[in-house]
Amino acid sequence: MLIFKLAIRNILRQRRRSVLTGLSMAGGYMLFVFSISLLEGSWSNVVDIFTLDQTGHVQIHKDDYAKRPKIYKTIADNAAVETLLNGHSEVSGWAPRAYSPALAYGGDKTSVAQIMGIDVTLEPTVTRIKQKVSEGTYFDDQPDADGYFKAMIGRGLANKLNLAVNDEIVLISAGADGSIANDVFVISAIVGNAASFDRFGVFLPLAVAQEFLAIGGDVHEYALLSRDKHDNERLAKDLQAVLPMLKVSPWQEIEATFYRTMQSDKQGNYFTMGLIVFIVFIGVLNTVLMSVLERTKEFGVLKSIGCRPSELVKLIFIETVMLATASILVGLVLIVPVIMWFTEVGLKLDLAVDMGGVVFDTMKGDFSAYVILMPMGFMLATAAVISLPPGLRAARILPREAMGSH
Amino acid sequence: MKTVIETKNLARVFGAGETRVTALDHVSITVKQGEFTAITGPSGSGKTTLLQLIGGLDEPDSGDVLLSGANIAQMSGAKLSDFRRDHIGFIFQSYNLIPVLSAEENIEYIMLLQGVPEKARKSRVREMLALVGLEGLGDRRPSNLSGGQQQRVAVARAMASKPDIILADEPTANLDSATGIALLEVMRDLNQQMNMTFVFSTHDYKIMDRADRLIHLEDGVVQLDEFRNS
Repeated sequence: MLIFKLAIRNILRQRRRSVLTGLSMAGGYMLFVFSISLLEGSWSNVVDIFTLDQTGHVQIHKDDYAKRPKIYKTIADNAAVETLLNGHSEVSGWAPRAYSPALAYGGDKTSVAQIMGIDVTLEPTVTRIKQKVSEGTYFDDQPDADGYFKAMIGRGLANKLNLAVNDEIVLISAGADGSIANDVFVISAIVGNAASFDRFGVFLPLAVAQEFLAIGGDVHEYALLSRDKHDNERLAKDLQAVLPMLKVSPWQEIEATFYRTMQSDKQGNYFTMGLIVFIVFIGVLNTVLMSVLERTKEFGVLKSIGCRPSELVKLIFIETVMLATASILVGLVLIVPVIMWFTEVGLKLDLAVDMGGVVFDTMKGDFSAYVILMPMGFMLATAAVISLPPGLRAARILPREAMGSH
Repeated sequence: MKTVIETKNLARVFGAGETRVTALDHVSITVKQGEFTAITGPSGSGKTTLLQLIGGLDEPDSGDVLLSGANIAQMSGAKLSDFRRDHIGFIFQSYNLIPVLSAEENIEYIMLLQGVPEKARKSRVREMLALVGLEGLGDRRPSNLSGGQQQRVAVARAMASKPDIILADEPTANLDSATGIALLEVMRDLNQQMNMTFVFSTHDYKIMDRADRLIHLEDGVVQLDEFRNS
């Protein structure tokens, strides 16, 4: 305890200087935490938007369907997959899907379209499809009184084909067996907006899509949500181990380009933040060096009474890390309410950003152990490193010279 | 009596060319356990240099320093630090207490370096404060003690680690005459009660009079080595 007492009292010797140094470290910590909170919060928000819009946290496909989709690359053993997903404690929701490109007719207009067969009950447990309905009502898998099944179409397709709710849409595509698939559907809803990823999508009830595409009970994809969204890669690995004949991919692989962009952006931001902390710690280094120079004689005395050079390095290390710890605690107390507010309430953006039909109008922070502890660890490690040059300088002091006599 | 200090042809030169000063010129002395030895001589005679070389605070240009048989001229770094910590007690002219530590803590610190358990440290601190007559003043910082009291704390600090020898560089130089003599009496008592070896430098005749042995240096050379009470 004596060494800690000595360290504390040494810190308090030049109280004003220590307070100013501490404030600069506290400010650096607050800035670091705040920036990471906003960075992680914003990216987390964006990731939530697109994973809950379409991708899910993990997807299961046959072979390389995700990269080279073909109508015949279907998952046939649905029952085994679904039993596995139902029984997996880390899976909070899953939904099967079938896809195919098609030609869509509305009146005398035509357009390419993307058929998306979805399970009307399970899909909303994975995505925000219901919330994206901008006109009409979310469909069911029953035919109407005239025997037509319902479809929901993207805003882009509705605009291009000049279609509205309750209009008919004709789809033509190729079945998996080589047959021509064509049918008439009644539009029950229009989803998203003209910028949505599914703006040219046609949502059909899964069973209807399966029959239309002649794929029997097969599906092209399972999208699922992980209970812990940050742990989705481990979940994908776990599932892959028990589904060796299928390809299980986390969203980071499905949206690899986006993921790389996000990581690059984060790294750029981390670098900037690291630079800010480094600049803060140059000031700290100066303070600690000054403190060592002022105490040259004392270090000479300590060495002469038998203090090992390494003990002096330890003393300077403890002093610097203690000052950093106290500063970080002050910074923590001040920054926690701010990031809690940003996480719970957030800052309203003047210009809302539409991301695939989901409006991103609030900049939110992230309040997590990572946001608090990562900057803390980084700053403490930097403080520890910064303490070494002054510590080594103290360790090299020669008692005879330090005490200024011969 | 066991030989605790032996210097062999100890030489130390500072500077070069026109500023070259021979601080010690092949000094050979032997000090036995329990001696109370004064190193005397005018300013610049080499007293402090001799004490620093004996204490391992400086390295000789040539010659050897053997403390209890160990040649400290061949030690360096942590080994020399440990040797100083365990075998040598230092008392400096300007006390050199750690200003942010109380008297007790100054005494305790060296035992902390030795790895003495806290309970034993506290007990030893009380014992040391009693020996130097500072009971009740242990919680005071150096700035709240007189010069004489600070030097007593320095004596207690030097004694705390139970060293083989205590080296004191002009321990009374910053004290008034009465306080200086009182401090020397404390050192003398400790020397006699505990058979502790003291080697101290001084140019004060009143202090010299209380030593068992005088080693007189001039221009780095031993001019006189005289036992007085033995």
